Amino acid sequence: MALLDVKQLTVSLTSKTSTLDAVSELTFQLQPGKTVGLVGESGAGKSMIGRTIAQLLPPGFAVTGGELLFDGEDLVSMAPERRRALLGRDIAFIPQEPLSALNPVLTIGQQFREHLEHIGKGGAGWKDRAAAELEAVHLNEPRALLNRYPHQLSGGMCQRVLIAMAFASRPRLLIADEPTTALDVSVQARIVRLIGEMQKRDGTAVIFITHDLRLAAEICDDVIVLYAGRQAEYGPAEVLFRAPAHPYTRCLELAVPDVTGDPRGLYLLPERMPGLKAIAELKGCRFATRCPLADDTCHMQEPDLAEVAPGHVSACWKSFATEGITPPPAPAAAARGSEKILEARGLSKSFVTNWRLFGGASHFHALKAADFIVRDAEFVGVVGESGSGKSTLARTLIGLETPTSGTLQLLGRDIIGTDGGTRDWRQKQMQIVFQDPQSALNPRRKVGSIVAQALEVGGPSLSAEALEVRIRDLLSDTGLSQEMAARYPSQLSGGQKQRVNIARALCRLPRLLIADEIASGLDVSVQAQLLNLLLRLREELGFSMLFISHDLAVVRYLCDRVLVMSKGEIVEHGETEVVFSDPQHPYTRSLLAAVPKGVRVPQVEELSA
Amino acid sequence: MAQRFNWLRSGRVITGLVIVTGLILCAIFAPLLAPNDPTEQDILAILVPPVWLPGGDWAFPFGTDSLGRCVLSRLIFGSRIALTVAVFGALGAMVLGSILAHIAGYFGGWVDWVIGRVVEIWLSFPPVILSLILMVGLGAGLQNVILAIILVDWTRFCRVLRSDVMVVAQRDYVAAARLLGFSHWRTITREILPATLPLLITLMSLEMGVAVVVEAILSFVGMSVGAEVPAWGQMIADARADIYSAPWVLVLPILAIFVTVFGFNILGDGLRRTLDTRLTQTERA
Amino acid sequence: MSGPVVKLLMRRLLTVIPTLILVSLLLFCVLRLLPVDVAAMSLPPNATNDEIAAMRIEMGLDLPLIQQYGIWFGDMIRGDFGTSIHFRTAVSTLVLDTLPATIELALMAMGFATVFGVLGGLWLFYARGGAVEVGLDLGSVALLSIPEFLWALFFMLLFGVSLDLLPFIGRLGSGVARPETITGFLLIDSLLSGNMATFMDALRHMILPSAALGLSAAPPIMRILRSSLMDVYQEDYIHQARQRGISEGRILIRHALKNAFLPTLSLMGVQFGFLFGGTLLVEIIFSYPGMGNLMVDAIRNADLPIIQTVGLTYCVMVLLISIVVDVLYLVLNPKLREA
Repeated sequence: MALLDVKQLTVSLTSKTSTLDAVSELTFQLQPGKTVGLVGESGAGKSMIGRTIAQLLPPGFAVTGGELLFDGEDLVSMAPERRRALLGRDIAFIPQEPLSALNPVLTIGQQFREHLEHIGKGGAGWKDRAAAELEAVHLNEPRALLNRYPHQLSGGMCQRVLIAMAFASRPRLLIADEPTTALDVSVQARIVRLIGEMQKRDGTAVIFITHDLRLAAEICDDVIVLYAGRQAEYGPAEVLFRAPAHPYTRCLELAVPDVTGDPRGLYLLPERMPGLKAIAELKGCRFATRCPLADDTCHMQEPDLAEVAPGHVSACWKSFATEGITPPPAPAAAARGSEKILEARGLSKSFVTNWRLFGGASHFHALKAADFIVRDAEFVGVVGESGSGKSTLARTLIGLETPTSGTLQLLGRDIIGTDGGTRDWRQKQMQIVFQDPQSALNPRRKVGSIVAQALEVGGPSLSAEALEVRIRDLLSDTGLSQEMAARYPSQLSGGQKQRVNIARALCRLPRLLIADEIASGLDVSVQAQLLNLLLRLREELGFSMLFISHDLAVVRYLCDRVLVMSKGEIVEHGETEVVFSDPQHPYTRSLLAAVPKGVRVPQVEELSA
Repeated sequence: MAQRFNWLRSGRVITGLVIVTGLILCAIFAPLLAPNDPTEQDILAILVPPVWLPGGDWAFPFGTDSLGRCVLSRLIFGSRIALTVAVFGALGAMVLGSILAHIAGYFGGWVDWVIGRVVEIWLSFPPVILSLILMVGLGAGLQNVILAIILVDWTRFCRVLRSDVMVVAQRDYVAAARLLGFSHWRTITREILPATLPLLITLMSLEMGVAVVVEAILSFVGMSVGAEVPAWGQMIADARADIYSAPWVLVLPILAIFVTVFGFNILGDGLRRTLDTRLTQTERA
Repeated sequence: MSGPVVKLLMRRLLTVIPTLILVSLLLFCVLRLLPVDVAAMSLPPNATNDEIAAMRIEMGLDLPLIQQYGIWFGDMIRGDFGTSIHFRTAVSTLVLDTLPATIELALMAMGFATVFGVLGGLWLFYARGGAVEVGLDLGSVALLSIPEFLWALFFMLLFGVSLDLLPFIGRLGSGVARPETITGFLLIDSLLSGNMATFMDALRHMILPSAALGLSAAPPIMRILRSSLMDVYQEDYIHQARQRGISEGRILIRHALKNAFLPTLSLMGVQFGFLFGGTLLVEIIFSYPGMGNLMVDAIRNADLPIIQTVGLTYCVMVLLISIVVDVLYLVLNPKLREA
């Protein structure tokens, strides 16, 4: 018997007037010890399954159909006491944000003890048991760790603690909801391996929720691709990744750049996934509006989930017609100029961390003697993990931090510690696009006012008509429709906000853009649109860009040259293709090795941390 | 956006506005509304009970006090003092406190440190004590009461607003405005103030209630506008002697203060809810 | 844990010194605006102008302000707080006689405020979303609109005059034996001398004034506890605890309250500072022989030495409260406990 048997599960947002389905007729089985991946973009409904199992649905949501059988018992209709007894003991969860999933005012030991008591392993000697569990997840000095508080640990360590807690009861089912998204690439790889190792030890079945199809292909037995709350495809991971039956699976894969292989273009899915309201109004296939293969049937009739091969189902009228979907050719190499736009020599920044009245102060060197050049119309990528100094570099370049030493020249002009005139000139020539559009856009300004904000000061004031024209141009340049000008940022989607963010920086046509993680946290289809937008804008407007990112594949797709940073130092730099195909520095090699490539990882044998 | 006047749809805001408007009308038209001269003493009608009690007289709807003065008239005229103090005291405290809060929260560093220390020194005085001491120093009088309220209560604005200004100042859009060439002044007025304005308005409403209470307290201990001017706190102080024989003389001004303060508080509470003052909620989108 | 606490205490006590100097300077300057002639006040009404001038010199009133301040401050450090102009006794004696009564009242009021505040906050939190919520919430706004002196008058009318349940004048009834002064705190002294009747009488006298004070300080505590609980229940660790099958009761007590109490505690620090000032009004209303009545009498008599010293004593008390709250905050918040 399957450990988890999900039959036609439907979860809806119900109100007095309407019922909107967030998950429709989800059906799958999970055998003991196996791993199923739930893959999809945000809003696809992939987190609902975990919340349904724990019966912790957001307000207004409820199960409106189907069954959710755990070992033959229906989790939906079960008495709350019975469910609480299962939760934490037979069914365990690993959260997305390890740092915020532990209570900040309780020690690791207090929380571990509470959990051990709940699963019936408390009482005398709990410390030994807790320490043993922490040792099993390869944490050093587990006993000392019990007295520490969550904020004293790194994100990776917190996640290990949570994994140790989850596996303390030898659970039969584990739900891991994007357990690595908030972590650095190299930590990500280790956490994924650790989950696999523990799973093998206890014979646990795992539901692995992720937006990353490649990661799912590497670690899952089966994969379910969700689109707008419905299963698009469900089958063996290998097959799904190499030869998908559903066009959405194929498009999803082609929308993401690779770190290896021949350069290719990104497949551009138009528009966005329909929201709950839009789904309810659709008649045909939910993907039809964006599908490259759609015809009249697709728009009129919703396809059922049909078996296309043994153990492989797909909800499409044209299953296996996906070879027809090919990626566009790789973007043409840009005509890079030779003019030096930005030149940094020995640029350093250190912060005083522990200032004392007597005995001096200790310093933290966030940026150590960085040397680099950005040339005309060149995109230079900066990669590295958190704490590598990427953001300090960006803030120093743009003038939000003053460098401790070194020189910085913009178009041959010194720009450190200079007078007001130079500062105005610098601000015209160099602009930053901030990472988080939520924070970067004033919620009380309309989009039109935001993009033309730079024209409010400096230089002659424009007439109302000229301002209108500029706003219109900026919106159309960044692919936004004209009516957006009258909206507030809160009325835009994440991708649209990021476009507004870019439009504002481009308003006075700077020669250099500093972009700090601007493609992170976006859905893959939105990310592909944004990357292509940047390439097109370079062709039309001719600017250079320093593109900071933790995502190596994105940097490879977008950038001509790359700087690899680690602990405040540039450890390797060069032409992107050369660095990626033949990395010299061990750090670069380990970064590249940690990126998921969609190849099934052989089952864990003797891997340690 | 149709949401601009959303705050008018809140029951709390309407309740508050009705009470406050009523008071304003009372204060403006006091000579027309009051049945008697509030300061005229009628020795023949001492401690007359209000009309709903036995022995009441329609000449004095709410009765008279121990000097034979009409309680209703004194209440109506008392609203003038209360409102004057509420408006000017709160306005002054708001201007002083919010300017300092924006400077401290925006510039941070030593400026923030200095302003923070000043607030700390102020907060080590209990407000009642500080206002009493200020009144001792300044001497009685309406202007001095207002001045004392400003000098005591600016910290309420400064303390609360400063942390909000700091949150907003950390937003990338503030850095972006600076990098687009905005001056500090322009950044504060165009980017930060619109975000803190709802909280400022809310605090202002609450502070008006506080000012009414402070004036009543000062009148009560005889440190406000003087015994000859009708003020609610003064009425309470006068009525304490007759607590056994004429409790209504004490209860009515207490009710007047309560209703007024409640009006300002419910207005502030309604504004807080509808104007989205909590920045974290605003950004929730 | 004691290391950081000691460190914080040292640091806070060190910063208190400059704060107190500035507070006393402020106090001194404000009171020098006083329009009355202190020298003339301290002499009999029939004193000649020469006598007054001599008195001015004797009292140091002819010296520059900053020098006068220096003398006053220097005297204070030596424990000399001056002599009351009106009572002709040492100010320190007068303050020490009345301070315990005020502290006793304030502490009991803080207890009331904490109990009302926490219970009310929990009630508000549990009523959220329900039909009672609106009513309760409006009730909390109404409570917020009643300052301590209105509560005091209201209680006096209701429980004292109308219902005649509790005494409302002074610290002790007229026929009750006063215990020997050991600490000055009536409740402690009567217990120490084993006099239960006095203890109960003193307690009954304190209920109305301290409840009035406590009720006026409680509504903000309720409201912030409610909103912090709401914030905490949005946190991932609450969700994770539920996913681990921890019961709701345990989540509230162990996970939510501990976190939600932190912002509540910092507000309580401020509230208790206000409350300590509020004792003045309540003391006047209940004729309670504490520092507040001393202060108001001194103001009527323009008795500058008393006003100065009592004002400063109030500030010292408020600073003490804030130090205690800071220490509690440190104990409860591990993030601040880093060495």
